[in-house]
Amino acid sequence: MARYGLDSTARAAGQDHLNHGAVTQPATAHAAMGHAAMIGAGAPAVGGAHDLDALLYPPAALPYAPGRVRDYTLTATDREIEIAPGVFFPAWTYNGTVPGPVLRATEGDILRVKFVNAGSHPHTIHFHGIHPTNMDGVFEVVPSGGEFTYEFEAKPYGMQLYHCHATPLKKHIHKGLYGALIIDPKEPRAPAQELVMVMNGYDTDSDGSNNFYTVNGRTFYYARYPIRVKRSELVRLYLVNLTEFDLINSFHLHADFFRYYPTGSSDQFEYTDTVMQCQGQRGILEIEFSHTGTFMFHAHQSEFTELGWMGYFDVVD
Amino acid sequence: MEAGPAPRPGVAWRLWALAPILVLAVVVGAFIARGASLIDLIGSNPPAADAFDIRRVEFQAGQIRIRVRNPQPEELTIASVTIDDAIVPFTLDGPATLKRLRSSTIVVAYDWVEDDPLSVGVTSSTGIETVGAVAAAIETPVASARGLIGYGVIGFFVGVVPVALGLLWLPSLRRADPKWLAAFMALTAGLLSFLGLESLAEAFTLQALLPGPLGGAGLVLLGVALSALGMTYLSSRLSRGRKGTAGLNLALLVAIGIGVHNLGEGLAIGTSFAFGELQLGTFLIVGFMIHNITEGLGIAAPAAEGPRATFAQLCALAVIAGGPAVLGTWIGGYASNDVLGVLFFGAAAGAALQVVVEVGRFVARRAPGGLRSGWVIGGYLAGIAVMYLTGLLVG
Repeated sequence: MARYGLDSTARAAGQDHLNHGAVTQPATAHAAMGHAAMIGAGAPAVGGAHDLDALLYPPAALPYAPGRVRDYTLTATDREIEIAPGVFFPAWTYNGTVPGPVLRATEGDILRVKFVNAGSHPHTIHFHGIHPTNMDGVFEVVPSGGEFTYEFEAKPYGMQLYHCHATPLKKHIHKGLYGALIIDPKEPRAPAQELVMVMNGYDTDSDGSNNFYTVNGRTFYYARYPIRVKRSELVRLYLVNLTEFDLINSFHLHADFFRYYPTGSSDQFEYTDTVMQCQGQRGILEIEFSHTGTFMFHAHQSEFTELGWMGYFDVVD
Repeated sequence: MEAGPAPRPGVAWRLWALAPILVLAVVVGAFIARGASLIDLIGSNPPAADAFDIRRVEFQAGQIRIRVRNPQPEELTIASVTIDDAIVPFTLDGPATLKRLRSSTIVVAYDWVEDDPLSVGVTSSTGIETVGAVAAAIETPVASARGLIGYGVIGFFVGVVPVALGLLWLPSLRRADPKWLAAFMALTAGLLSFLGLESLAEAFTLQALLPGPLGGAGLVLLGVALSALGMTYLSSRLSRGRKGTAGLNLALLVAIGIGVHNLGEGLAIGTSFAFGELQLGTFLIVGFMIHNITEGLGIAAPAAEGPRATFAQLCALAVIAGGPAVLGTWIGGYASNDVLGVLFFGAAAGAALQVVVEVGRFVARRAPGGLRSGWVIGGYLAGIAVMYLTGLLVG
């Protein structure tokens, strides 16, 4: 005899139980509209138009001045963040956001990063770059309530990154302890509209695979608030992949091409519209848009795209 | 020693009977007010499971409707919805935050592909995703005269027709040797035992699919007890003043027992068809017809005893035994029915097993050689074997 009923499965996770208010989304969409429905107010993204400005627009580059000290303070905190409308993730953050703040230095600067661990677990900061191993954030694990100051010369130039290297590593990274570090070359780069995108995922039900994908921490954020740039003017995008669990992530630009400088540490580039990065891989994209209009960008893993990693450039004259 | 008359309880003692309930109310009130501190003594509570119960996924042109229920003790909020691992915009027909055991319908504009399997995911505000798999997306029938007739005809063919055909054995049974008649009565008991056990297993399977608070063996027992005791009561009414139930009355009991089973069978066919889990081909319907014709034989055997039944009475028996299949397909095709399904199958088991007892008592009284005769034992085993073998046609 045929059975009826659906086989429902779900995983419970060790998470604080929350009772949040009602959340609804306006379904302005018609089935046939597809991604046209996923723009502006129709895109399921959290927050206001400028919430992520500090993560998207990096601090300005400073001219070369060897020995100058660049002071930063990063504080690890446990914080529940809203990553998709109504979906809350109990994150571990640097300075309260996932990803953490964008750090910037010029080659030859002394980077001095004071790390305060206000979280409930031991953490570190591991920077990618060239530095002494006692500043590598692997062996000096900072206990909850502890502090540590990392100090080293910023090099080599390029798009770098930082993340927690406490164990279990997978947990400490996917909970949100990572961010972008830009090291500028001695010779300043050409002036440009500069942007930072950190690609990530969230495994909200702790089953070892991601439920949501984003850039800069919120699903479909740049679909709801397209990034305004100017036609024919140089756009420089610092891109890094910190997605846990999935082997790769990628960036695909619609309707134009860009120069991709792997790691941003040399002049060598590839002229393309799609790049792939494994976790920790990063690079710099330089784009001069040929047309005005709405240019989609997204992971070219369709699954990631449809789980939040999609946005638009709004190119104007 | 002399046993005096039992003392009549006074009013005060009747009121005293309320005392445990009143004290319970006070204790419950105190615990609600202060209980959290007691739990703190033990340690902190583990987090809630936060999984939804996806009850029904319906497909309409350009639209998917997902009925979800909160089976958890705490409130649960619908935050995000995916179809085949893609976030989709949705609207809610009902609240987003669901109290315990409350339901809402998620409406998604979606261009689904006919006959393809599909998964729906509902994520709570705490990020826990509940995934429901749909075997094949097919347009869910909406109540229409055409559909109603369609289900009705299917129910008629798998329920009423085979039972009526089985009743055509009645004239042959009337002329049969008492030993043979006893064998056929035992066959009736055998096939009812088979149906009873099958229904019971189905009831347990269905209750296991229900969310914890709604399921459980107790729900099955409720269905079994309701019908078994109801049938016992009916049987005592029918046989009032006589010793045991016989003839047409026993045939009526058998028909009711089979009817309750066919209600569940119709329900399963209707629901599976509506969910795209069942290919309701010609072969399956023919299989059900062959399977169920033995049910007609089961009714005919006791009716062969005693006064001759009228044609109208025989028609009534066929409708009582087969008609519920029509009703079942309608309920299964159009209505939400998870708890009902468990109750119906439990009831089918209870009714069938109660009728087995009635038939057994009848055979014990009337059969030459009683229950231990080879005819009876052989008939009973044959009843089970026939049901199993014809059941292969619908398995």
